[in-house]
Amino acid sequence: MANKTGAVISKFYKEYNTKTPKKLKIIDAYLLYILITGVVQFAYCLLVGTFPFNSFLSGFISCVSCFILGVCLRLQVNPENKNQFYGISPERGFADFIFAHVILHLVVMNFIG
Amino acid sequence: MLIHSLVIGTLLLCTHASISDYISKSDIEKFIPAFKSAFENLNKDDLSNVYYGAKGFSLISQPLPINAADACKHLQKFFKDDLSNEIVFHSLASWSLLNCNKLLNVKLHKDSTLKALKATLDKQDSSIGDIRFALESLNILSEAVPNPTKIVQLLQAQLKEDDSLPSVGQALHAASLLGGAGQFAIQYVEDIVVQADEVDGRIMQWEGGLTLTSLLLTGLLRLPEAKPVTQTQAEKFATYLLTRKTVQNVKGVVSLLEAAAALSKSSVSPVSITFVDSAHVTTTKPDLKVRISNIFGQPLSPAPSPILAQSATRTTDDVVVLSKQPLTAGPTPTEYILPLKLDPGHYRVGLTAGSHSAALNVRVLGPVTVQWLEVGLSDSDGTSAPRLTKLQHPSKLTTNLQADSSHHLILRFSLSRPVQQPFLRLSSGKREIIFVAELDSSKAYKIDVNLANELSFSAKFELELILGDSIMSNPLRWSFGAIDVALSTVEPSPQSKRGPRPEIVHMFRPAEKRPPQTVSMLFTALAASPLLLLLILWIKVGINFKNFSFAALPFHVGLGGIFSLFTCFWLKLDMFATCAWLIPIGGFTFLAGHHILSKLAKQKK
Repeated sequence: MANKTGAVISKFYKEYNTKTPKKLKIIDAYLLYILITGVVQFAYCLLVGTFPFNSFLSGFISCVSCFILGVCLRLQVNPENKNQFYGISPERGFADFIFAHVILHLVVMNFIG
Repeated sequence: MLIHSLVIGTLLLCTHASISDYISKSDIEKFIPAFKSAFENLNKDDLSNVYYGAKGFSLISQPLPINAADACKHLQKFFKDDLSNEIVFHSLASWSLLNCNKLLNVKLHKDSTLKALKATLDKQDSSIGDIRFALESLNILSEAVPNPTKIVQLLQAQLKEDDSLPSVGQALHAASLLGGAGQFAIQYVEDIVVQADEVDGRIMQWEGGLTLTSLLLTGLLRLPEAKPVTQTQAEKFATYLLTRKTVQNVKGVVSLLEAAAALSKSSVSPVSITFVDSAHVTTTKPDLKVRISNIFGQPLSPAPSPILAQSATRTTDDVVVLSKQPLTAGPTPTEYILPLKLDPGHYRVGLTAGSHSAALNVRVLGPVTVQWLEVGLSDSDGTSAPRLTKLQHPSKLTTNLQADSSHHLILRFSLSRPVQQPFLRLSSGKREIIFVAELDSSKAYKIDVNLANELSFSAKFELELILGDSIMSNPLRWSFGAIDVALSTVEPSPQSKRGPRPEIVHMFRPAEKRPPQTVSMLFTALAASPLLLLLILWIKVGINFKNFSFAALPFHVGLGGIFSLFTCFWLKLDMFATCAWLIPIGGFTFLAGHHILSKLAKQKK
């Protein structure tokens, strides 16, 4: 069983390494980074306490939102999804990503206190 | 009780009521300053005031306290024939009242005065008032009235035009001076009496105040051979007059006295039944003194008889305690004495004087004695029997009671009869606390004071028994000892009630407990560490800057600017300043980004 799982994982990893474009790997690394940061904040909240609550919320919401925006960017940039996002170039997707980030962080900074 | 009510009811039906007040000597004393002031500061318009002053002194039968000759000279100086008939009459009447004829040895009037007065009686358009005062003036001068029948026609003609109450009142006075020809006025009597207003069934008056009521009442009673008002009505008018005893101006006082005098001289003179001193008697002096007089407090003639106390009933239970007891004559002709040898209480006495009756509320006071009194302390848990000391009024406790917070103060006493106000007063300096005693089943009064609950400080308290009642002739304050109370609380020091209050310091909400700094720092590092992971992963994936050109620099600078601005916003700026900065920086970044991205897109194609 463990063997099988290990085989699946190693196959998956190999496929990912060879078939995924480099740009998507960069985005995936970014998403992993965001995810781990959010997990660390949540762990702090569980272990130590929520004070100051608004700061915790703004940090955690920032992570969640960044993750969502990153996923959106990845969907739009992925060449396999091209027929679904016809007319939206990767550059347009990136511009939207940047714009959404500017607005998001204005709110986050306002909320951080 | 029903039978008794019937008896009282029948009594009231077949007798007349009486008035419960009269014009006393002290009331008359109060009128005198008004009369005196009428003679002071005279000017030429004040001929009438002189009359009111002189008339007032004559009505109360007092000698003039002022120099009448001065007033006579004043009248002589300002009297003229062409004054109004009313003032002519006032002047002539004052002249006669003040006896000026003898003082100055001259007459006030001349032949021309008489001629002018008679001319008034001849004129077709003379008012009723003018005619009345012309007749009054002639009456004073003892001159015969020329042609009374014609004057009667004149009056009747005027009354057809104006039959208001003042006119009719003047006409009544005029008619009474016309002898047999004046009989016509009797037809108006009934009409006038009907117009009087009755208030609460006990007061009658004519709308128009004291002056008009007096004018009509004196006019009615002046008519010869007429009995214009009944005894009951006369008493109601008298009650009205007595309610106006406080009148201040001289004209009002004269009106009041004239009307009262007219009533008391008439055949329906009101009878006043009042108490001589007070409305209570004591068991030791049981004689109730009653005054039966006319409205001026003078004896009635003929004296009413018989004077009987028809009944006396106790008001609490309507028990008849006395009936048909005659009153004995007292030291003065108006005083009558009724001995009331009764138990203390409130009584209603029905009195009749001839055909007049009155219901008087009388109190009989009696002494109350303290039969025994016990005072002492008991334990609050009631384990031991209270130690009580017996006292007799007016002795005192020889030693102070010694009590602490575990004690109750017990007071028991017995009285010869129950009283309304049995109190125990504990006092220390200016402070006192009062307890009400309650009757227990054995008809003894009892007070149980829980010292720890009732008292707030330790002190020596005086003990005082206070007894009072509306039918108690010897209200009692008996200070019978003292008690030393030692409580665990000390007496609070008196605090000054003025001056500034203590300052109120604002309390901020205490800061919440924070985790130790090492924990915070550890998690900061933990939160930052994925950034390192990101860089490692990116390098591992093979990130490169091959596409980077200097054309992309403005975009990156602009984006960096926006995030720096956000950092500043976090640290010190407010939202408005941030938005103001964001617009130019954001616009620049947008243009730069648009430029570089469109260039990248073109390259790809």
